[in-house]
Amino acid sequence: MDLSTFLLIFAIAACIYMACNIGANDVANAMGTSVGSGALTFKQAILIAAVAEFAGAFLVGGHVSNTIRKGMLDPTIFADIPFHLVYGMIAALVASAIWLHWASALGWPVSTTHSIIGAVIGFGMIAGGVDAINWSKVGEVVMSWVVSPVMGGVFAFFIFRFITRQILNQHNPLLHAKKLLPFIVLAVFVILANSMFYKGLKHLHLDLSFVTAMAYAMVIGAVGFVISKVLVRRVEDVPTEDIHQQLVSTENIFKYLQPITAFYIAFAHGSNDVANAVGPLAAVVSILENGTVQMKVEMPAWILAMGGGCIVFGLLIWGRRVMMTIGHKITEITPSRGFSAEVGAATVVLICSKMGLPISTTHTLVGSVIGVGMARGLPTLNLNIIYKIFISWISTVPFTAILSAVLFKVMLLFLG
Amino acid sequence: MRTIFSMFAKSPFKPLVSHIDMVQECVNQIIPLFEFLQARNYQEVEEISKHIEKTEHKADKIKDNIRSHLPQSIFLPVDKRDFMRLLSAQDDIADAVEDLAVLLRIKNLEIPETLNEPLMDLAYHVVGVANEACRMIRELEDLLEASFGGDEAEKVEKMAQNLGTAEWEADKKQFLLAQQLFSLDDQLNAADLLLMNEVVKKLGGVADESEKIGKTLRMFLAR
Repeated sequence: MDLSTFLLIFAIAACIYMACNIGANDVANAMGTSVGSGALTFKQAILIAAVAEFAGAFLVGGHVSNTIRKGMLDPTIFADIPFHLVYGMIAALVASAIWLHWASALGWPVSTTHSIIGAVIGFGMIAGGVDAINWSKVGEVVMSWVVSPVMGGVFAFFIFRFITRQILNQHNPLLHAKKLLPFIVLAVFVILANSMFYKGLKHLHLDLSFVTAMAYAMVIGAVGFVISKVLVRRVEDVPTEDIHQQLVSTENIFKYLQPITAFYIAFAHGSNDVANAVGPLAAVVSILENGTVQMKVEMPAWILAMGGGCIVFGLLIWGRRVMMTIGHKITEITPSRGFSAEVGAATVVLICSKMGLPISTTHTLVGSVIGVGMARGLPTLNLNIIYKIFISWISTVPFTAILSAVLFKVMLLFLG
Repeated sequence: MRTIFSMFAKSPFKPLVSHIDMVQECVNQIIPLFEFLQARNYQEVEEISKHIEKTEHKADKIKDNIRSHLPQSIFLPVDKRDFMRLLSAQDDIADAVEDLAVLLRIKNLEIPETLNEPLMDLAYHVVGVANEACRMIRELEDLLEASFGGDEAEKVEKMAQNLGTAEWEADKKQFLLAQQLFSLDDQLNAADLLLMNEVVKKLGGVADESEKIGKTLRMFLAR
């Protein structure tokens, strides 16, 4: 076997390892609230998450993957010794995956995104010094790490406030919930469909303009609107005076939305996090095929598909175990709250994916949950998490950077 | 993985309702207590009194548990100080009932005939006030769901108003009873008079403490 083939296999293996870790690490985000609130069985949640993650990864995962593949490092540094970039990307994948595996075992809230970014910077600096890194891009990315949880919080806050004002605090909340549900479904369907259709179908050789994509999205949204309007009529009315039953029935309506929001957040996660595994692999493949990292070429479809598939695999293998440990600790988050947090977070993540910004889905979701808490939506909120996340920020990037640099040096030593 | 779920600490609102159940249990003993007193069954008075003390102790344990699980890092949808005040107000009701029970054990009181009816009347009324306060606490689950607004908040607001009116009625009855007590002249010796007065005051006090529940719970709605 020649060196190129060996490296390719090594890179693919590392990518698969990383992707499985991503699926395992973040599975709870996608499925947690839906299963915990009883809206979905474990099997149903896994199925929805699997389809959604893959769709998100394949259709929208390209932008962020490109950032990691070619946006972080200055390609000219590796022009003379392109193989070093291959070693580096492989080292980065292995380093991140190790950190993820280890830290998750310890129960730390680490971000798959922070891990890979740290690792890429790590080997980059060793390989080409400080100038090897595209610091303005890195700066943009780090900024997005701060902004995304905050925006997640802001979105979730206003979504929940809207739900509180327009539904929960109205006379006869159930009636208002029944009226607004179709519109909510419409909105989510349109956002999802639009993100899929606009720039998302390139791999299927369909490049639609924004207007066309929006038009198709509206059609999908309309279908959802009509179906939900019909389904909602089946819900029994409750007398206005019985406020307790009204509130219970209103929450049940939000339960029906859980499959949709579970899909939405799994989709968004796939779109942003698949890059953490396939970005480096795509760089490796590009060099092994062409000798340089191709700046103009889009992400190869097969790589995105493989990444998406492995995330799903990680989800399937680890999902059950995660759900067993978490169990029903999440009964505190009722469907309306879960909806607000998930839609808020998923929207921010999807926007960042479209913008090619690699962010942490977990941290954004944390921001969203806090946003709901601030809107008086939750009985308790342990703000200790903010401290833990801050610690994970400080520990992840340096650790993966150093480990990646070490592995890179080792590869240089053995492979030249 | 476990990130999201570590954010949901144990809710202190459920134990708060468990606490009020204990308080309710104490309050439920008031009528039997006075019935046995009037029947001069001092054995039973002693038994019930001990039961009240045990129940109040159980309530205290729940209270301490709640307090120890509210570190600085926990964020509540209401002002934490208001929450603590509510817990204290609940505790005060149980304490008042316990004090009442202790008073009745100091001496085997012989209640004059004429006071029997107004005394039971006051007791029933006070128990009614306390029960209404407990019912308000049980609305917390729905209040949380409704984010402390809407029809549910209005319902609780009305309950608080009714509670205030009922407590005022209790005050009036207590005053009338006091007047009757002090017009008994020589029918009662000094010790019994002092003790009876304390008992009446403490009984009325249970209603006073119960009204505080309404006032404190209202603060949750204020925002």
